[in-house]
Amino acid sequence: MTHTLNRRGFDRERPGEEICVICMIHYKDRNEKTADAMRELAGIIIRHEPDNIMGSSTGAKPEQIVETSAAAGIITAVFTDKDSVMKLVQEIKAKDPGISVVLSGLFADVHDICESAGLTEHTSNYAVGISGNASLLPDHITLEIATQCGHGLVSRHYIEHVARRIGEGKMTAQEGAELLSKPCVCGIVNKKRTEEILLKMVEQNPFTEEREINYAVRQKRKFS
Amino acid sequence: MYIDQDACERCMDCIPVCPVGAIGITETKLIHHFSFQVVIDYETCVECGVCRRLRKCPQGAIKQVEEIPYPRILRAAFSDPTFRHASTAVLGRGTEEMKTNDVKNEFTRDNVGFSVEVGRPGVGAYFRDLQKVTMKAVALGGDFASYNPVVALMDKSTGALKEEVLNEKVLSAIAEFIVPREKVLDVLEKLTAFINAELESVATISVIARNDDDGGHSILHTLEAHGKLHGYAPYPNGKVNIGIAAMKGGNP
Repeated sequence: MTHTLNRRGFDRERPGEEICVICMIHYKDRNEKTADAMRELAGIIIRHEPDNIMGSSTGAKPEQIVETSAAAGIITAVFTDKDSVMKLVQEIKAKDPGISVVLSGLFADVHDICESAGLTEHTSNYAVGISGNASLLPDHITLEIATQCGHGLVSRHYIEHVARRIGEGKMTAQEGAELLSKPCVCGIVNKKRTEEILLKMVEQNPFTEEREINYAVRQKRKFS
Repeated sequence: MYIDQDACERCMDCIPVCPVGAIGITETKLIHHFSFQVVIDYETCVECGVCRRLRKCPQGAIKQVEEIPYPRILRAAFSDPTFRHASTAVLGRGTEEMKTNDVKNEFTRDNVGFSVEVGRPGVGAYFRDLQKVTMKAVALGGDFASYNPVVALMDKSTGALKEEVLNEKVLSAIAEFIVPREKVLDVLEKLTAFINAELESVATISVIARNDDDGGHSILHTLEAHGKLHGYAPYPNGKVNIGIAAMKGGNP
């Protein structure tokens, strides 16, 4: 969850597309009292119906998500509706839980949310891009999905594989987005946006059989 | 992580899910035909656990050894976000960075933080690559955050990492350090040029700063103006601590 700032594909012209919410207890403050506060926060977040939430990839039930968040000292979720986040933050502020809350998205969106709750931004983390050996990176559109899991668990090859299956009519983009959300244990892959990106990938049709075979051959060479 | 060859039915469904391409095929030529096995390359695998967690294998052929030895265990610690770091007790990459700054006040109005995540996005990196960054950061006057698992492996005076960890590969690891606010552009320029020239892998660079009194982003505007002259553009999106914990006696 350290890495949501590095998500690709945001555009100031498309505000409100997604906001990640992270609540975290500072390590020195972990105790029964803050664990209870975290339980309450997790319950509030679930009630505001995020698009995806920590634990959902393993099929965890709401009560399990609440307990996991208290034990881990963190809860993470992604919303695709700014109004919901505004209401959520207003409710969190009213509870005054003493737990850090981080929003990740367009700075303009976060500002609107803060303003609606009477808060001001405290500390920000700004991404200035990717440096180093750029030849190792996948193409921009693949990165738009891959960077949604901040821990880098959504494989570029899996994205290509899923897009190809969609192109072949073997699954829908919605099913593909659901599959690609599974590796992300933080539950912050935006399934709605992933579905749209997958459709765009299929439309551009870069997933020829030749490309797929090339990956298999590359892997075979590497291992033989 | 390894594949139990007695259980594997060679469906190959697990191959694309590996973030670092560690799962592949080995082929053996027999007298009348070729035989193949699906295997996990021990050196390439970063122990992130995705292949096993996704339950892609209906036979349960993807397995983990009972105990991963040191220093290989660091692969899991830095690549598997369900793994709690021994040195910080934090999940994920093991650092709270600015997420709890409204409590700890590590980033003040006089300094800025740099977070350089080596191996990200989705490429992976050896600790020897991370060491290049940590040593450069020390040379540039960076003061390392103590509450980061990388620091537990590092000599803070030089940035050198423990010799035995250098050839361990992870999905990513974060070098986090602080510099005086007035040095932000100088450090950014030198660091970026160094990373572009020296790294085998990739790295994301980010800057952490306290917002202005009114919540404004003056550092972002400085970076945007600087980026126009130096060929980069800060993202329009990022992470913002909204100061909820500060309301309860934290750090206003």
